[in-house]
Amino acid sequence: MRRRAIGLSILSSAAVLAVGWQLGSGTQPLSSSVSQATDAAVPGTVTPAAPTTGAATPPATSAPAASASGTFTGASAQTRFGAVQVQIVVADGTVTDVVALQLTDEDQKSVSISNRAEPVLRQQVLAAQSANVQGVSGATYTTDGYLTSLQSALDQAGL
Amino acid sequence: MSLRTALPEVVPRPTQDRERRIRTRRRMRAADLLVALSWSSVAMAVSLYLAGGGLARVTDLASGITAAGIVTGLVGTDLILVMLVLAARIPLIDRVVGQDTAMAFHRRLGKPALYLLLAHGLLLTIGYSLADGVNVVAETVALFQGEDMALAYLALGLLVTVVVSSLVAVRRRFPYEVWHLIHLLSYVAVLVALPHQLSAGGVLADGSVQQVYWLGLYVLAFGSIALFRFVLPTVRSARHGIRVAAVEPIAAGVVSLHLTGRHLDRLQTQGGQYAIWRFWTGATWWHAHPISFSAMPTSTSARITVRALGQGSSALGRVRPGTRVSIEGPYGIFTHSHRTQARVAVVAAGIGITPVRSLLEHADLQPGEATVLLRATDPSQSYLWEEIGSLPGMRGNSIYTVLGPRPSGLATWLSAEALGRGVTLTSAFPDLLDSDLYVCGPQAWTDLVIRDARAAGLPEVQIHVERFDW
Repeated sequence: MRRRAIGLSILSSAAVLAVGWQLGSGTQPLSSSVSQATDAAVPGTVTPAAPTTGAATPPATSAPAASASGTFTGASAQTRFGAVQVQIVVADGTVTDVVALQLTDEDQKSVSISNRAEPVLRQQVLAAQSANVQGVSGATYTTDGYLTSLQSALDQAGL
Repeated sequence: MSLRTALPEVVPRPTQDRERRIRTRRRMRAADLLVALSWSSVAMAVSLYLAGGGLARVTDLASGITAAGIVTGLVGTDLILVMLVLAARIPLIDRVVGQDTAMAFHRRLGKPALYLLLAHGLLLTIGYSLADGVNVVAETVALFQGEDMALAYLALGLLVTVVVSSLVAVRRRFPYEVWHLIHLLSYVAVLVALPHQLSAGGVLADGSVQQVYWLGLYVLAFGSIALFRFVLPTVRSARHGIRVAAVEPIAAGVVSLHLTGRHLDRLQTQGGQYAIWRFWTGATWWHAHPISFSAMPTSTSARITVRALGQGSSALGRVRPGTRVSIEGPYGIFTHSHRTQARVAVVAAGIGITPVRSLLEHADLQPGEATVLLRATDPSQSYLWEEIGSLPGMRGNSIYTVLGPRPSGLATWLSAEALGRGVTLTSAFPDLLDSDLYVCGPQAWTDLVIRDARAAGLPEVQIHVERFDW
């Protein structure tokens, strides 16, 4: 009888874990789900030529405009720990600066994570000239929000 | 040792045998399901993390440690909630495995749960400090200032207090009531830990399925505690209006309390069960006593018999007739309906006679079906023995008595005299393997009987014993 209890426990636990695993790996990377939420939450802020596809995919495919210049503000991306919004400065099709207008700041912890992650993300983006960067571990939400907002800014700049 | 009656052949009763088999099978199935459910809830806790895509976030040492910290927190809290459910005295759990078995599991989970939650705090602090590039102390200070985090640290502190107070060595230093009061802090601990789980934890985000499930667990645990430990006993006590009718001393330090009340038959007490009683006098109200029914209740009366063991129970001999009594229960599976076999073997010592007395009264016994062995160091401890012999159901069934001190230096449950005559468990109960063995007596003595029963090859399911020690 005890053996049956053990067997049942192992089977049902394995099933529960398998379903959890499946659900976890089945969901798209967090950044794209955040960006979809953003589009829904802040309509009109961005007028994307193509649907925002998220950080994992290469930058937008809209018509190249090598001579794009100016300042472009990305959509505000909602995360669990607060909104994230960035602004890019573009000169002749090159991103010369990324300014964080707002970072995850819901609590003390988020603020300290944001402060640490922001310079790293900025460096990565300036080097890669796209949202296709590694991100900062331990600052997942900040990274996701940052890159989502960045992508929408890049889209506006046609980069 | 005396043999009162000869052993007649037991007339087979196929219907009863069949019913017993079905009941046993159902109970076993339910017990296995309960075990599987408990472990699945642990798997579910891990699954909550997996389903949130947690593993994808593990990219380096810091995030790995953080992930481990989150999972230990989820599993540790889940175990604590399982412990609450086990302690809630849910009728189904009592019927299937018995409250004492449930509490044995409860006790075994205590330390692992605490270690997991300590690991949770430690791993997350280390994980975050690695990610932030600061030392652990600075990280702890930063964490402490986070939303709801002071409460989380308070919860951990309370849990440490509760578990430490429950370590055997520490527990013995306190009266039961003090220990119990400290133990109630665990409810507070589990509750004040909740806010940070919802606000700081990414897994249980607002509006997620995970959060709904988690809150459901909390409602289940606290709901069953509230319902079965507070509401139901209060309603029951008010409905039955139980009072002490008479206090009858039956031996030195042993009293039978005769109780009256309304519709006591609706308690559906089974022979061999106990209830947790509280006597509302100035000296006794703060102490609840688990005491067995020593006779089957009628619709207006009940009898319980108790020996003065602790400070509280010695005061029970002095309660006056008319004292109001509240009841939690009846509980217990030391009953006729938990039989699995055609024969019954009963071994009782000292005050352990009480549940045996009502068990034998309630059991629908036929001649030759039961064998009873009563044990006492001297005749002054032969409580209620004469009642056992005059029970209608005991007609045609054997009662052995084993009087006398145990031999010194030998681990045995028998008297030196009986041992010298070559008496063993199997000689007293030749049909032991076709019997259900009911044992009730002092703990160490009971363990020795069970040791011999196991050595004789008696399966666990046929051994019936209930432990009241805490």
